[in-house]
Amino acid sequence: MADAAPQHEPPCVAETIGLNLAFNGLPILRNVSMKLPAEKVVALIGPNGSGKTTLLRCLLGLQETDSGEIRLFGGLPLKQALPRIGYVPQKLQLDRDFILNVREFLALRLQTTRHWFWMKRKALDDRLMAAMAELGCESLMDRPVARLSGGQLQRVLIAFSLLREPELLLLDEPTAGVDSPGEQTFYELIGEVHRRHKMSVVLVSHDLSMVYKHAHHVYALNGNICCHGTPEEVMNAESLKEAYGIGVSPYHHHHAH
Amino acid sequence: MLTEAFMIRAFLVALFLCPLCALLGVFVTSRRMSFFGETIAHGAIGGVALGIFFGLANPTPTVIVFSFAVAAALLWLKENTELATDTIMALLLSGSISLGMILLARLQGDFRGDIHRILFGDILAVGEQDVAVAGVLFLAVSSFVFTRLSPLTLISAQEDMAHVCGVNVRRLNYLFVFALTLTVAVSVRLVGILLVTPMLVIPAASARNISLNLRQQIVLSLVIAVISGLCGVALAYHLSSPCGPAIVMTCVGLFLITLVARPLLRLARS
Repeated sequence: MADAAPQHEPPCVAETIGLNLAFNGLPILRNVSMKLPAEKVVALIGPNGSGKTTLLRCLLGLQETDSGEIRLFGGLPLKQALPRIGYVPQKLQLDRDFILNVREFLALRLQTTRHWFWMKRKALDDRLMAAMAELGCESLMDRPVARLSGGQLQRVLIAFSLLREPELLLLDEPTAGVDSPGEQTFYELIGEVHRRHKMSVVLVSHDLSMVYKHAHHVYALNGNICCHGTPEEVMNAESLKEAYGIGVSPYHHHHAH
Repeated sequence: MLTEAFMIRAFLVALFLCPLCALLGVFVTSRRMSFFGETIAHGAIGGVALGIFFGLANPTPTVIVFSFAVAAALLWLKENTELATDTIMALLLSGSISLGMILLARLQGDFRGDIHRILFGDILAVGEQDVAVAGVLFLAVSSFVFTRLSPLTLISAQEDMAHVCGVNVRRLNYLFVFALTLTVAVSVRLVGILLVTPMLVIPAASARNISLNLRQQIVLSLVIAVISGLCGVALAYHLSSPCGPAIVMTCVGLFLITLVARPLLRLARS
């Protein structure tokens, strides 16, 4: 007659509890509590200025909060947690003339006894090619990073993160600089990477149809967490209206491929 | 030429400082900080005036102190006001030149000759002390750059990513500004206030013309800077001209060569 076993919550890699943050008196985050379950793809959606990027920056220790708590990997100090995190920003701040090529850029993430500056090209490629091949961008090795297209750059940035096998990968609007046909392939690629590496992925996105298709869990943010749950639970007209403030179509169209 | 002690000193100082400026210049240009170097260099005029005021034969110590004051003011204003960076730099640049000129005008004596040397550099002004300072600076700053090459490159690419990779971005930015300020302040003696920025920018830009990657750019910048420094000092001696313009003209000449070589190299590589 044993009672049904208590439902255990899935383990989570990161958690925020009641985060509050205001800039010049203007509230940006209001009582934001969120759990990032292990090995799942979590989408963070919301309109422009809803605090999505700020929330990522708080998780990474780039932005201090006014109150609340952030727990990474069960409460590790930030310094110990960061090596387990991969972060893919929207863009780099490189001058277009900066000649750093993809091989050199990736080498910055390598842990080697010999500094990359003194390493032979072949030795570097041996260490880097697996990550590049996984993202389908082996041919970009000699290209200057500052001259890559939006989609190519995002792939290189993900390869950069994968070099240290992160347990949590944070992607800040990864398709912002990617053209429409490329978006679908890109999200599929992220899904592929997630399946292969069994990591947690946080995807900041405004593309509701892609979120519907690829995320396991969705948080809708508009200063506070308006709602969260599976894509099916969240992506209904009412929840989206709360998040976006206006009527938004759930838009979970089905591609015929 | 090489039998004269002052020439040996000038060659040595050029050999230490020109590659150092070029090495920092690779990151200065990539991080769009050229105007920062210009502001620090112009601030040096206040330091020179203070040096003369205190009766120092070699004003390098007051130049260094004054340059750090300008750099600290710049960083403080940048972090604590909402002013645009170039507005802050214009303010400090014009302010420190004006302060220096007023101080010089208030001092007894005729400083017109001194001002010429301050602005354009002077081989004869390079003493043994300057050689020692340049040598120590060369060792310290080049080891700083080479041991922190990856973090320095990362913060040039994306500061947030650098933070996630474990780089203490704020501390490294301060250290870079510290190294740059010190190098600019010491280089003023050789090339003059007006011509320090070209020493930061032109070798890096010339190397960029003919390089395929960052490693090549760093190595070629160093080579171009060494050639410019040595040829420039020799040119200054033969033409009896100030040292700074001679070094910078050599740099400009090499830049033009790399500009012509660029399409040719591209053809050869394809």
